Amino acid sequence: MPMLTTIAQAVVNGLLIGGIYALVSIGVTLIFGVVKIVNFAQGEFVMIGMYITFFLATSFGIDPLIALVISMLALFFIGVLLQHFLISRVLELGDMPQIFLTFALSLLLVNIALLLFTANYRTVQTAYSETAIHIGAINVPLAKLIAFAVAMLLSGLLWMFLHGTDLGKAMRAAAQNRDVAMLMGINPDRVYCVAVGVALALAGAAGSLLMPFYPAYPLVGQIFVLMAFVAVVLGTLGNITGALIASLMMGVAESLGIQFVGADSGLIVVFVMLLLTLALRPNGLFGGWSR
Amino acid sequence: MRRFVSQGGFWVGALAAIAVALPFLVSSTFAIDIFIRVLLFAFIGVAWNLMGGYAKQLSLGHAAYFGLGAYTSTILLIRYDVSPWIGMLAGGIVAMLASLPIGALCFRLRGPYFAIATIATAQVLMLLFLKFRDFAWGAEGTTMPNLGDAPLMMQFDGKAPYYYVVLVLLAVGLAITYWIERSWMGYYLVAVGEDEDAAEAIGVDALQIKRNIYLVSAFLTALAGTFYVQYIYFIDPNTAFSFNVSVEAALVSIVGGIGTLWGPVIGTVLLEGTSALLQSWLGGGHGGVQLTVYSLILIAVILYRPAGLIGILTAAYDRVIAGTKRLNKVPLDD
Repeated sequence: MPMLTTIAQAVVNGLLIGGIYALVSIGVTLIFGVVKIVNFAQGEFVMIGMYITFFLATSFGIDPLIALVISMLALFFIGVLLQHFLISRVLELGDMPQIFLTFALSLLLVNIALLLFTANYRTVQTAYSETAIHIGAINVPLAKLIAFAVAMLLSGLLWMFLHGTDLGKAMRAAAQNRDVAMLMGINPDRVYCVAVGVALALAGAAGSLLMPFYPAYPLVGQIFVLMAFVAVVLGTLGNITGALIASLMMGVAESLGIQFVGADSGLIVVFVMLLLTLALRPNGLFGGWSR
Repeated sequence: MRRFVSQGGFWVGALAAIAVALPFLVSSTFAIDIFIRVLLFAFIGVAWNLMGGYAKQLSLGHAAYFGLGAYTSTILLIRYDVSPWIGMLAGGIVAMLASLPIGALCFRLRGPYFAIATIATAQVLMLLFLKFRDFAWGAEGTTMPNLGDAPLMMQFDGKAPYYYVVLVLLAVGLAITYWIERSWMGYYLVAVGEDEDAAEAIGVDALQIKRNIYLVSAFLTALAGTFYVQYIYFIDPNTAFSFNVSVEAALVSIVGGIGTLWGPVIGTVLLEGTSALLQSWLGGGHGGVQLTVYSLILIAVILYRPAGLIGILTAAYDRVIAGTKRLNKVPLDD
């Protein structure tokens, strides 16, 4: 394969998986922006979305794209409960409880999954799992293309929700200034529950979209959450468009790393990007966030 | 006040006597192995607590220093026949040197993003050591040369000597913490941990303080790394830079009592004790049980006792003391 095609193929692969990273990062940055906590368990909700999709597919023969609706709804409710019963209790406390509550939750979910489902890889074969579209010399797997398209669609819907509905505007108001938002008659608890619910629904969607081409196992969320953290720092904390663009960039960087440095080098490239960003632009690529 | 100090001294002395006598009282190697684990993780927790507890820099990447300590002594031992006792100190120094650039990067961030950046540094080191095939045995790792009973090379017959080595490490860690707690540095640390900006405003060089305590914390963690690989006779990147080391260092401190001298020790006894009980009830092969229980304990502590379990113990101790005082009706003054 000529050099240019190799690069183009790597870029396409990276963009496609970057769409999934975007769903996870947007969730992380949404919770950070509105509720002001970092959800260390976001990757585990991707994992739960994958297992829901896996069991719906294997037990009832439901296609992952239909299971997507169910896993998004289920995770929305889990998110509302999580915010209402757990996260709300540490909001007034310092860094330690806020970090380690969601961190403990992440450990708990991984290990419960390990107990219930063992460490085995679970895969779902769909009619389109092996199909690919050829554009010139570039090979585009259909399942990944669908995942990317749905991810972009959901990101667009979220943007419309945040800018076009009263609840969405209330959410952005609460993110900018909680006290003033409360004075304007916004109920912050309700807004927080919806924000966490939506963020988890996006993680659930990522899980369903991954299932046709990615195995489910208890630790699967870790890769996605690490990618999301890097993307959220790169894209400026709390900035949804920034997280989306940064996620696509990271997907491409990882893919080029795998292509040109070696199969196990994707993560090194990503971490080095994180550390370089911290060294050179600690406020992210897109603006002057400071705490 | 002097009474209180001497009472505290009495309890520490009693605890030390029990700890020293333990290998004579218990002969089961299974039990001694658990005691060694408890002391080792208490020591790592003490090292983490200097950084995470007093200065509130919640690192989730202490495996970086554990691994550097482990690899430095192992490379010196196998490639250059240097005794791990010297390798241990060398590992500590390598870890201190590494903490400078890592700190320079990570201290730009606060709170959760500091934690994430430290995870990234430990992961980068692990991935690098997976790549160093010629130099550090890559992913396969290597076993330690078995030299038999060679105390000068940190290899012993039986488990009791290892127990005493790690007991001394823990005692050193506690002594350093005790000393720092009472020095001007301890007050600066707590000031930085409480409110970094306010501390800066009254003239504390927060970055300098964080850098200094990170040096101490990294050095001590590296000693634990050398000890551990000498004890298990094996090293590979996944063991040396294990994320579980980073996690457990933080967990034992938080469960026991973050930013307290004895918190990490109490936390480790509780967590490792629970884990040992679970193992003897359920037997091996139940992957996930231990960490499930750990995370439930952690969630309960965060929601109900964010200051850690040490608060329950000191409250109970105060009640007992108050009770005896009432009974004896002894005048308190000298």
